[in-house]
Amino acid sequence: MSFWLTVLRQVGRNLKMTWGSQLMTLLTVSLSVLIFAFFYLIYSNMLNLGDKLGDDLSLIVYLDEEPGPELKQQLEKKIRTFDEVESIRFVSRSEAYDRFALQLGKNQDVLNDIPKDFLPPSIEVVPLKNLRSLNQVKLFSSYLASFPGTLKVQYGQDWVERFYYFTKLLSIIVLLSGTLLILTTIFMVAYTIRLTILGRQAELELLKLVGATNNYIRTPFLLEGLLQGILGSTFGITALYILFQWIKLRFSGPGFLNLFEFTFFSPSISFTIIGVSILLCTLGSYTTMQKFLRI
Amino acid sequence: MVELIKVSKTYAPDVIALQNISVSIESGEMFFLIGMSGAGKTTLLKLLCSMEIPSKGLIEIAGLPINQLKGYKLAKLRQKIGVAYQDFKLLTDRTTAENIAISMEVSYKKPQLIRKRVIDLLDQLALSDKHDTITGELSRGEQQRVTLARAIANSPTMILVDEPTGNLDATTTERVMKLLTKCNKGGATIVIATHDDSIYRHTTHRVMELRQGEKYSLSGGLSL
Ligand SMILES: Nc1ncnc2c1ncn2[C@@H]1O[C@H](COP(=O)(O)OP(=O)(O)OP(=O)(O)O)[C@@H](O)[C@H]1O
Ligand SMILES: [Mg+2]
Repeated sequence: MSFWLTVLRQVGRNLKMTWGSQLMTLLTVSLSVLIFAFFYLIYSNMLNLGDKLGDDLSLIVYLDEEPGPELKQQLEKKIRTFDEVESIRFVSRSEAYDRFALQLGKNQDVLNDIPKDFLPPSIEVVPLKNLRSLNQVKLFSSYLASFPGTLKVQYGQDWVERFYYFTKLLSIIVLLSGTLLILTTIFMVAYTIRLTILGRQAELELLKLVGATNNYIRTPFLLEGLLQGILGSTFGITALYILFQWIKLRFSGPGFLNLFEFTFFSPSISFTIIGVSILLCTLGSYTTMQKFLRI
Repeated sequence: MVELIKVSKTYAPDVIALQNISVSIESGEMFFLIGMSGAGKTTLLKLLCSMEIPSKGLIEIAGLPINQLKGYKLAKLRQKIGVAYQDFKLLTDRTTAENIAISMEVSYKKPQLIRKRVIDLLDQLALSDKHDTITGELSRGEQQRVTLARAIANSPTMILVDEPTGNLDATTTERVMKLLTKCNKGGATIVIATHDDSIYRHTTHRVMELRQGEKYSLSGGLSL
């Protein structure tokens, strides 16, 4: 009880003495949490989007001939040896024709002069609904193209590739900003605490002489790091949340953002980010003490 | 009980401050350490509070070899030893009260208790009006007394005082000695380093004289 009272008084004294640099640190920590969380938010939403778009993704393998029942089985087996798939469906010439006609609706009469078997038979392969198969779509399609009797393999080549590179780029940005977060928090916190320690050399020396324990001397600094972590990360996440709400409000209505649901972090992820930042800040103050407060 | 056995201290590179000192100081004893300037009095006190470690020899307090203590145990020992340094070591940007409180705060004494003790000590040392003065603004004699107050505030079992009366007039010297005697009556071991012969001339306690780092004489007391 008395321990915490004394420690808190000490923390108060430290903050009062170096409030300028404390504020700077707080700002830096908040900002790096904000930057990291911002990119991570986009990234995780992209992954969600990828999942959703992946739902509609299918590969269509056009064949030059209607496969017989035996060949169908062989083809199906070959497809499944490459990867597990959601479903495989064979579409015959006549089915393809019927479907096309249905799509044309009222304009069906343009088909009158065309033979019913003008469309090639095909296999519709729906890969598993996860990004792994989305990334593998390219490989998969060239595998399918190598089948004998395959005319062409079709999928949303363009967007799949672009999407793939975009998420890859994002993951790199997330990694970079994560590294930035780790470095800034540890170094800034370590730096301010070093300032405090250097500014109080005389007092710390005296404290050791009058019998202050390690805990007595170190706990205030650890607490200071902890405080920086709690406040900094909470500010960062809150700022991102406000930004998020503002963007949502601003760009609501018909538009690009409405194509897919943009969601904020779940509480558990928010708390994880806050928790990790607190840990990093405490680590920062701890390492400084190891260096400058050897007793 | 404090035991020094063949203790020597050499400062780098080759200043011999103490040589081959053996002495035991009983608990509850008041012990005077005298000698000319540079004789090694301060060095001996620094060894006793493990601010310095001996180059040779052994120092035991209550049977514990203190130069091997570290961390928590060393801190606990230091809480039991109050030291009034010759160079004061006051925090000159803090008030008198804050300076005295430090030695009690490190052992987590209650704030009300600390406040009461500070006021009481300041009263005994005729410093009541300096409670909230920044110690940097005090006179040397006042600073000296604040240092003493800090040393005895936490009721340590051993009190080491280095030149407690160097800057004081006769009346104030008497006050200081009265306070130290009171602590001694309360059971504390007291070691006073001084060259002010007015405070040890008529004493019944033991007096050890150092000359150039060596034990020159040990006299007085009932044990001799
Ligand atoms: N940190 C140090 N480094 C080197 N030499 C030192 C150090 N401290 C003390 N000395 C030397 O050790 C010797 C003893 O010094 P000490 O301070 O113990 O003397 P003293 O008896 O307290 O003197 P005074 O009465 O002037 O305070 C002196 O010659 C001094 O110069
Ligand atoms: Mg001295």
